[in-house]
Amino acid sequence: MRWLALIWKSLLRSKRRTLLIVGSLMLSVFTVAVLQSLLTSLNSMTNNPNSSNRLAVRHKSGLTQMLPRSYEPYLRQQPEVETVCALQWFGGYYQDPRNFFANLAADETTIFQMFREEFGVSDITEAQIKDFQRDGAGCIVGEVLAKKNGWKVGDVVPLTGTIFPINPRLNIRIIYKSPRPSDENALYFHFKLLEEGVPRMKGLSGSFWVRLHRPEDIPRFVERVDRHYANSAYETLTETENAFNLGFVKMLGNIGAIIQGITLAVVVAILIVTGNTMATAIRERTTEIAVFRAMGFSSGRVLTLLLVEGMLLVAMGGMLGLLLALVAATGVRSTLGSLTPFLADFTILPDTILACLGGTLVVGLLATFIPAYAATRRPITDGLKAIG
Amino acid sequence: MDTPSISLGGGEPIIRLRDVAKSYWREELEIPVLQGIDLDIPVGAYIALMGPSGSGKTTLLNLIAGIDRPTGGSLEVCGSELNDLDDDELAGWRNGHVGFIFQNYNLVPVLTAFENVELPLLLTGAGRGERRDRVEQALGLVNLTDKLRSYPRQLSGGQEQRVAIARAIVTEPDLLVADEPTGALDAKNAEEVLGLMERLNSELGKTIVMVTHDPKAAHHARHQIHLEKGVFDRTVEVNR
Ligand SMILES: Nc1ncnc2c1ncn2[C@@H]1O[C@H](COP(=O)(O)OP(=O)(O)OP(=O)(O)O)[C@@H](O)[C@H]1O
Ligand SMILES: [Mg+2]
Repeated sequence: MRWLALIWKSLLRSKRRTLLIVGSLMLSVFTVAVLQSLLTSLNSMTNNPNSSNRLAVRHKSGLTQMLPRSYEPYLRQQPEVETVCALQWFGGYYQDPRNFFANLAADETTIFQMFREEFGVSDITEAQIKDFQRDGAGCIVGEVLAKKNGWKVGDVVPLTGTIFPINPRLNIRIIYKSPRPSDENALYFHFKLLEEGVPRMKGLSGSFWVRLHRPEDIPRFVERVDRHYANSAYETLTETENAFNLGFVKMLGNIGAIIQGITLAVVVAILIVTGNTMATAIRERTTEIAVFRAMGFSSGRVLTLLLVEGMLLVAMGGMLGLLLALVAATGVRSTLGSLTPFLADFTILPDTILACLGGTLVVGLLATFIPAYAATRRPITDGLKAIG
Repeated sequence: MDTPSISLGGGEPIIRLRDVAKSYWREELEIPVLQGIDLDIPVGAYIALMGPSGSGKTTLLNLIAGIDRPTGGSLEVCGSELNDLDDDELAGWRNGHVGFIFQNYNLVPVLTAFENVELPLLLTGAGRGERRDRVEQALGLVNLTDKLRSYPRQLSGGQEQRVAIARAIVTEPDLLVADEPTGALDAKNAEEVLGLMERLNSELGKTIVMVTHDPKAAHHARHQIHLEKGVFDRTVEVNR
């Protein structure tokens, strides 16, 4: 028998404790890992590294209000501006309304310049772009979306409108690849198609995307544009693309705070369950601990044995929980990932894994240390008297 | 208070207590349990510590075995002045010098007989092979070589106590302390355990201090010391 064998045998002595601690830690670590990763995914949606010099100009009173297309020339004239692209959320679906993906009407002349990183423009030929721009019913789709629906270049995609009363039949002209899979769950078609099909959209757009030459110019530009249109019939709100997307996410409620709240609750609950279980288990061993010490085991040695045992126990639960979360993440990516753009690259990041393991060990340490320390400080004679 | 001191004749004392006292405090009130204990016990003695319940037998035994601290006086046991040792040194001292036998055996339920006996050897730095030899030897002495792989719950009370005795002697301590070692056993098993202890004393020369209520058990010892309310009452030499 070696030390580890001794610890292992002690660890497995109470099935109830082993199941309770391993099981509850497994479930909590799983929950926390998945929720935190969800938060990371949501944050990455509002934290596109390519968007640092992009802005969205929209109506001050909300996302459903429109701005006149006549604002475009003014925006384009500003010295900081590289390009401007009118963009309108279409919100249509293909075959099944539950089948969510982003589909938007966009200015076909500037969209490639605007989203050159997301579209991986360097891999798209001049001829393909011309092809798309010449076809009024042409569209471009991301590879994730195309794969999911089995679309190829040249296919016809009928979209059913939900916000707008048209059902465009679109020709796929380009399938693009993005550095981030979440950017590939989208479809863009010509703005004119929307304008011509929907009379109330004539000369209007929900937003203008603006790309500046330099991100440093953002504050000055924002201030100037919003002041320029202040007190007009269509007042503007100009904000960075990330802030704009954050506004979208915020419509879902303050998910970040909710997730952090749940995480805290889970951590506190698990600390109570683990602490209580460990305390009971160690109390049940009061006499045995006293016998070990009588035989010559020092308090420090007994404390170490108990701590290693407790840590091993929680570590098993934590690892199982992470394993479960990693399996679940793969599942989420391959199923929900194609339905919701922000889940397309859903992963449990190394940071989350480390944080969960670290948290698990801290919980184990706290939960074990307190009763173990008390047990090893107790007079041996007391321990021998306890009914063991 | 004038208390008789007890000095058993014979060789070099292995236990030498001078004016040992132990009190507990309940709030401000001092409750003396042992007072002015002087005791000399030579190597190789076999003592039965007797006395009514609450007279301080267990307390005295725990002091001698170094698992409790006196409130006064000095204890020299197995060549060490126990007051001079800190808690960790005292733990090491116990591992090297004292074997414990308890009333309730106190074996570790998740370990086999072999592993239970091996336990105190884990602290000695003995290698695997040496540990195995010594465990087998100890279990041989208590006649349980056929139960190496049994768990405590698979053993009778008498067998459990014999495993516990093997555990107590496996480190080859000079001193064995036993608090009511037969208290949980029936007469037949008690006889067997007592016979075993007698052999450990006579054949291996272990010094044994045994607390007991039972006159029959005490009769196996060579001396009986009677405690009364924390002081020595009388000593009786047993003629076997
Ligand atoms: N931790 C303690 N706190 C307060 N008093 C104690 C404590 N331990 C023992 N005592 C008291 O010390 C006295 C002696 O106790 P001890 O256990 O030594 O008696 P004993 O002779 O072994 O009795 P028994 O035959 O019943 O085992 C008792 O009166 C007991 O109440
Ligand atoms: Mg007692």
